[in-house]
This record gives sequence, structure tokens and C-alpha cells, in this order.
Amino acid sequence: MDRAIIHLNVTDFAVAVERIGDSSLRHSPLIVASGIAGKSRAVVYDMSEEAYQDGVRKGMSLQQANRYCRAARIIPPRPDRYRRAMAALVKGVIHYTPLVEKGEEDGHLFLDVTGTHRLFGPAPDIAWRLRKQLAADLGLDPVWSIASSKLVAKVASRMVRPFGEYIVGAGEEHVFLAPLPLSMLPGLTAEEIKILQDFNLHRIGQLAELSRRQLLVPFRKRGSYLYEASRGRDHTAVRPVPEKGDSFSVEHIFEEDTASYTEVEAAVAMLVHGVGRSLRRRNMLGRRLKLVLVHADGKKSQRQVGRKGGSDNDFVLRNMAFGALGQVWGRRVRVRSCVLICEHLLPRSPQQALFVLKSLREEQQEKIITAMDQICSRFGDGSIVLGNACEVRV
Amino acid sequence: MTSETLCPVLVGTSGYSYTEWVDSGFYPQGTRTPEMLNIYARSFPIVELNYTWYQMVRAEAISRMISKAPEEFLFAAKLTRTLTHERDRNWQQEVKKYREGIRPLQRQLTVILIQLPSSFDWSRNNRYYLAHLLDSLHGFPLAVEFRHVSWVRDSVFAELEKRHVTLVTVDAPPVRGLFPCLDVVTNPDLFFVRFHGRNKQGWQSENIQKKFDYCYTDEELQQWNEQYLNPLRRNADRGVVFFNNHVRAQAPANGKFFQEMLLQ
Repeated sequence: MDRAIIHLNVTDFAVAVERIGDSSLRHSPLIVASGIAGKSRAVVYDMSEEAYQDGVRKGMSLQQANRYCRAARIIPPRPDRYRRAMAALVKGVIHYTPLVEKGEEDGHLFLDVTGTHRLFGPAPDIAWRLRKQLAADLGLDPVWSIASSKLVAKVASRMVRPFGEYIVGAGEEHVFLAPLPLSMLPGLTAEEIKILQDFNLHRIGQLAELSRRQLLVPFRKRGSYLYEASRGRDHTAVRPVPEKGDSFSVEHIFEEDTASYTEVEAAVAMLVHGVGRSLRRRNMLGRRLKLVLVHADGKKSQRQVGRKGGSDNDFVLRNMAFGALGQVWGRRVRVRSCVLICEHLLPRSPQQALFVLKSLREEQQEKIITAMDQICSRFGDGSIVLGNACEVRV
Repeated sequence: MTSETLCPVLVGTSGYSYTEWVDSGFYPQGTRTPEMLNIYARSFPIVELNYTWYQMVRAEAISRMISKAPEEFLFAAKLTRTLTHERDRNWQQEVKKYREGIRPLQRQLTVILIQLPSSFDWSRNNRYYLAHLLDSLHGFPLAVEFRHVSWVRDSVFAELEKRHVTLVTVDAPPVRGLFPCLDVVTNPDLFFVRFHGRNKQGWQSENIQKKFDYCYTDEELQQWNEQYLNPLRRNADRGVVFFNNHVRAQAPANGKFFQEMLLQ
């Protein structure tokens, strides 16, 4: 059976949410900018379609954005509000399918409605009803698209945004993508596009004409992704929304943007202790750590590392986090903040000690962690940290 | 009445791309979406495209679809919802897009179906809008399906007749305020029938699976044929009949019986 994936995308999500709360913001171009206005570090977090048409882009410095769109009103971002709006979006669609994947406060939702036709009818009807329902209940008007994969559905949404809908029939992925420019293919970096353009390749269809072997030479491991994606093949599942309480995050914002690996590593080590302590308090184990680096241009890089069985041991978690940092580090843009997300929580089994023999080293580590927890409970979080966390300027 | 005086009738269903028709046995097990139209065309000579109601038609998608059907196969296409149910001030732009998008289908296009919502009553604004909409779609064969009873007027039928626009004959549940089933022919070139099923409870629900969950009995279809179809066939050169009760493949089952009944 062909999969039916619906992509709902509320374009300019932060702007859309702000405009629901304050109707006066609907009458002029709007820029949502993080940082302090007037300071060089302030960057565009989101912008309205009018501001976009004037040349404003996400991650652009606010000063530059202001020059492009002088009529724009500027407001600070309110991530909490966007998070709540995302939660409301998910709540509005969850009764159609349990397979709903959401982005991070960005207005993107993927729904896998394969096999739900007997209950709710064909996928286009579901998508249309969802859009109507979200518009009526939340005042949000998402673009919707339907395809057999997340990748193709995402491209289809890009084709019609800021308003509209697009249905890509199963089996038509290849012909749908072929005439589109390379920049429309999700996941391609600017460097990869540049390499392809150097080969005089400008359309996705041209990329799809290359064999795996041909792509292996310039792109190594990434060649496989390019091969599949250019043909509209994407078998990644729609990952359901984690249950409430199934993840939590901690964040560190650097006082000044940094390009120092050591400084970021130290910050990550400090965050690890916060994550570990929180897990121990909840009597849970974390099975996956996701590290997100937020760069000075507003873009994010992220990697995740998993551990079967999970852990709440700071030393283990630190190794996982450093592993993720090693993978994610590479963009030549300064880092503004880092976020450590602990996911896939597992209740700690009280019987574990009966079956697992701990090494001397592990016992020592546990004693150190217990002592650190006691000090932190008495003198506050951050009063004692692991050695390589000391270089963080707080 | 002899069969010589009755016009030919093409029977089809409203939509063909339903996954549940594989489960229900109309399509062979394992049939994938791209193969459906070709298999459908072995049973019916015409289909009503209803995905064109959900999204604006695009020429490239229409061209791809035509290539999967036999050359002599025919289509009826629903007008997009932004021109019927969710229209706004820029509706003329939408008409322009529709005209361009539907162009590749022109040779195999029997009619464009303008299905109006039940809230679309015989008010001055709505009459004004409908007149402009029909004008803007000039050159295409058109059929109008009203859902509101207030359009049952001789003046409406006369205007449609003047414009050579087909009034759609509907078989639907007996719901108050709904446009009734009539054998009025306003366009001698073509009559157009839609069988929605008679699930009164489902009709009032928001769920499409309940709304169109109905299976006509052979007796109901035979009776309908005598009461409505024969008068329609006497007054037109050609007719199309679509079954919209798609749930559990009841539409193709009823459609096949209807075809056999017409051959007798």
C-alpha cells in the first residue's frame, strides 16, 4: 500500500502566532528578532511574507533587515507562546492518526494517514478538513500537501507556500521533482549545491540522472542520500510526538558568540550535569541525547547519540554528548547557544542492581556523582561541575 | 417506449483513486495508486474527477493522468473549492488558473461540474456570483449542482437553458432544504446525474465515510430508472451518471449493475 503523508505547514509560524494575539500586527510587515534591537547580535528569527518580499531572511542581522524593510514593526520572539501554539496544532490533528511528527516551534507537522481511509476517507479530504478545522479553532491557515513520503510532501509545500495545497500522486515523485531547482531538495547544503553547479547541474532531474557510483566520488557517504532524494525516495517514518514528559532540555547561551570548540565543549559538560541530575531526581534513564547548536546567523545544527538501556550517569552522558558535539561541529559560524535535549526516557528499574555487576570505576563514578548532587542540593545548581566544564564563562 | 428514442448514457463513479477499493475487491490485491485509472477504465468509460475540488488543477498533473488512461476514456472535472465553497475576492484569478490547468483535458472533457454548497441559496449576491462564474467559464461544457432548495425555480431553469448549462439531477437522502431530485433537462446536449446514496444520518455528519456510505438495491435503481432516467434520456442527446457512494466500493458495484440494467 502506498503511504499517505500529509504535511501541514503554517508559514511564518512565529508571525502567524503573534498576529493571532495582536490583530494590529496584521496591517504592516512584521519582523520577529532575537537579541537586543540596535545591537549587532540581534538577528531575524522570523518575518512576515511582506518583509520576505522586501528581502528580509531568517538569520539576517536586524540592522540589515531594517534597511531592507523600513516599514516593518519589530517584536521579540516568544518561544513559549510558539511552543504552546505547536502543542495546540498537534492536539487539533492527533485524533486523525497517532503518527504525528512536529518540528520545533516552526509550524511544520507531518501526519502519516496510511490505512485510515476506512475511518476518515481519502487523504485529501482529511487534509482539507484539518486545514479548515485549524483555521476555525486556532486562526492558523496552513499550507497542506500530500505525498508518499515526508521529503516529497515537504517539497510540495514549498511549491505553494505561503498559501495553497499540492497533491503528488504516488508513483509521480520522480517526474514531480525533476524540473525543480536543486535548492528545493531538502537537506542539500549550500556547499553541495555549489559542487553540483560546478558540474553544470541545476535541476533535481539532472541530479537524478547520475548513478550511485558517480555521486560517490564528489560526495562520499552523502552520495547515497542525494541518489535517493533526487528520485523522491524517502522511507523515513513519521516519528510520533513523544508522550508528555518523554523529553526535557537544558540550554546555555554564551555571553558572546564563540568559535572555540573548548568553550562549547565545557558548556556541554555543564549541561550534561544538569541533565544527569534531573534524570536522577525523576528516577529515569535517558536513552538519547540530542545536541543543538544555535549559530550566530540563526541557523541550527544538531546531532543525536543514543544508548541502549539508557543512563543517568554524568560520565556516560558526557561521552554521549561529546560524541554528538564531535559530529555536529563543523560550520564556520560562531555559536550563540547550545541546547541539550534528553529523550526517550525510561523508568529506572529497582531490580537492576541485582543483575548488573558494577566495575570499581563505575562505583567510584557513582560516589562522585552522589557527592556532587548533595553539594548542588545544598549550594545550588552549578556550584560544583565536572572538570572540563570550568572554562565556561558564566 | 423503445430504446431507439432514448439517448446513450455513460456510467462512472465520482473519483477512482480509493485505497479502500482494493480492500473491497474492486481493484485486485496489491494494486498501487498509479495503476488504478487503467484498471478502472476496464469497467467504466468515464470518471468524475473529484480531486480537482480539493486542489487547483495543474496542467502537468492532468497530462500525466491522461497518459494513464485509454485514448477514448472520458472525464468530468469538479470545479475547485476556491470557486464554490471557499471563494474570496480573487476568484477571477482562480478561474484563470483553472482554465489553464484543465486545458490538457479538453479533448476528453465531457463537462465541468460546479457543485455549490448547501449554504449557497437563491440570494441576490449568489445569483450575481453564479452568473459571473458561468460567464468566466464560457467555452467549457458546464453543469451546476445546487444543494439548496431555493433554486427550484422556472426562472433558474430558463436561464440555465439559455446558457446551455446542465442542471445536475441528484439522488440524495430526503433532507429538509436539500435540492430535490428533478428530471428537468436544461441542456439538450447533456444530462448529468449524481447518486449520493440515501444515508440520511450520515449526510448530516461531517464524516465523508458516513455521508456516502450507502448501497442502492437493484429495485431502487430500477425504480429510479423508470421514474427519472427515461424522461431525461428522451430530452437529451447524451447523459452521464456518476455514483458518489464510494465507501466500501459500493459506487462501482452499483455502477456496474446500472450499466447492465441499461443494456437490457
